[in-house]
Amino acid sequence: MKVLAHSYVCPKGVKLNGEPVFDTQAEENPLKSAYQQLGVEYPKFYKMDVLSKMAFIGTELLLPFFPAGTDLENDLSLIFANTSSSQHTDNLFVDSYEKLNNPSPSLFVYTLPNIVTGELCIRHKWYGENCFFIEEQFNPKNYAAWAQSGFSKGNALCLCGWVEAKTNGEQECFLFLLSPSDKTEHTIEIELSTLIKQYRNE
Amino acid sequence: MNKSVYIHYLSLVTPLGNTVEQHLEAFKTGTSGIRMTEHAGFQGTRLPLAKRTEITANRYDNLLREALENVHITLTGKTAVIVSSTKGNLDLLPGDTFSSTHAIINQFFPEAPVVIISNACISGVIAINTAADYLLSDTYDQVLVIGIDAVSEFVSYGFQSLFALSGEACKPFDKNRNGTTLGEGCGIVLVSNQKLHDHAVVYKGGSSSNDANHISGPSRTGEGLVRSIEKTFKRSGLNASDIDFISAHGTATVFNDEMESIAFGRTQLNEVPLNSMKGYFGHTLGAAGILETIMSIVSMEENLLFPNIGFSETGTSVPLNIIQKLESKELKTVLKTASGFGGGNASLILQKEG
Repeated sequence: MKVLAHSYVCPKGVKLNGEPVFDTQAEENPLKSAYQQLGVEYPKFYKMDVLSKMAFIGTELLLPFFPAGTDLENDLSLIFANTSSSQHTDNLFVDSYEKLNNPSPSLFVYTLPNIVTGELCIRHKWYGENCFFIEEQFNPKNYAAWAQSGFSKGNALCLCGWVEAKTNGEQECFLFLLSPSDKTEHTIEIELSTLIKQYRNE
Repeated sequence: MNKSVYIHYLSLVTPLGNTVEQHLEAFKTGTSGIRMTEHAGFQGTRLPLAKRTEITANRYDNLLREALENVHITLTGKTAVIVSSTKGNLDLLPGDTFSSTHAIINQFFPEAPVVIISNACISGVIAINTAADYLLSDTYDQVLVIGIDAVSEFVSYGFQSLFALSGEACKPFDKNRNGTTLGEGCGIVLVSNQKLHDHAVVYKGGSSSNDANHISGPSRTGEGLVRSIEKTFKRSGLNASDIDFISAHGTATVFNDEMESIAFGRTQLNEVPLNSMKGYFGHTLGAAGILETIMSIVSMEENLLFPNIGFSETGTSVPLNIIQKLESKELKTVLKTASGFGGGNASLILQKEG
């Protein structure tokens, strides 16, 4: 297994393969600013929840690194995880019926974490396998194992994501693209733990 | 697959009872767990719901505990637990809705790592597929797979806001269907590399596929479901002519059931006896795939086709072979499917050994 590319989106800014791409630190609406700087026309972006917005931006940046010749429509699997599920939107939906007395259907549809992968599939016409896990913390060992299982079942490429929006305001989206190779799962685990620490400045 | 993967049911708690025997009796007599419930909907409206009335508070945690207490098995070897749930315990909002899940399971299985899958209504089927992956990669010897979701105001109001609920008990695949009915339950299966008793069935393969079409509406062409079924056939080395029974998703919304009929038509499965169990359990979201897999295994054990409650007249553009009365049939190979929000579709195949 091999890490082909990686990206990181958080309110401070956006990075690709460790290098800064957009600085959004001074922006009132960092994700909107990152989207505008991206220069992509996709008006659906504006109706997305924060998880989907971050994953959208991070994925657009990774597209040049998807290997040519891969049947992305069928053989790309998406493995995503976080700790807080869709709680950020869950709380907004509760407010819509408790405070505003009007349960909002446009919020309700985002009260599932896997809407993130659904949005990416719609955007890029990906019909492959998806799974969303809830984990106590970012666990590189699990990603390596899940991706390896996918490869042994015939998937050719795996887009992995850790996409989190906590109720305390912390937000981050770490994406990485894995392909089969002779590197061991253990090597990948170490690489991923190092990368996320660097992105988080830990 | 070179190694055998076996599935055993261990526990089943729904409005219909807390033993598999009670569920068999209910399914044989066509008894539904759905009841008209006062003040269940937004602004005190009445809603049909499949709610376990024995539970009066802390529904999610109590359902989970009751199902775990009914597991009477000694586990040896490397064991993990996978939980399939769309929402966890919503009473814990604004905090962490999945924190009680970890705590409760740790009381029963302190050593086992807990993995949670939250992938809308296909969670249960992909949880079993993931458990099989763990066995095939030798990561674990056995995996307990728990499917659970509880009835809540949150989900009821949300489905009401989408106009997705039926005013009476839901009618999967029927001409007059007009929405789903929500339910709750907890089911537990053991996915193991050992056959623990005669009633175990073999897991032949499974897969998932996204519609790449819409986040809350099913594909008009059944694309994702077709691709998942075809991939599952390929992985299991089986085809449409091998399938004796389909446990379909069948939420009873106009568009979902229509989409499934098109997908089953495109995969040459439209003449295979089929039911949706939503008329018994309601739509139990993250639990659905597990509850319906358990009752599919019971179908296989008993060689019985259970009727699709709520169906009386064909209401899909591709006519399906909907089971209308209790029937005996030798059932060797069964296809389970699921579809859900986020464009997800998943399927798996179960087979009797030998």
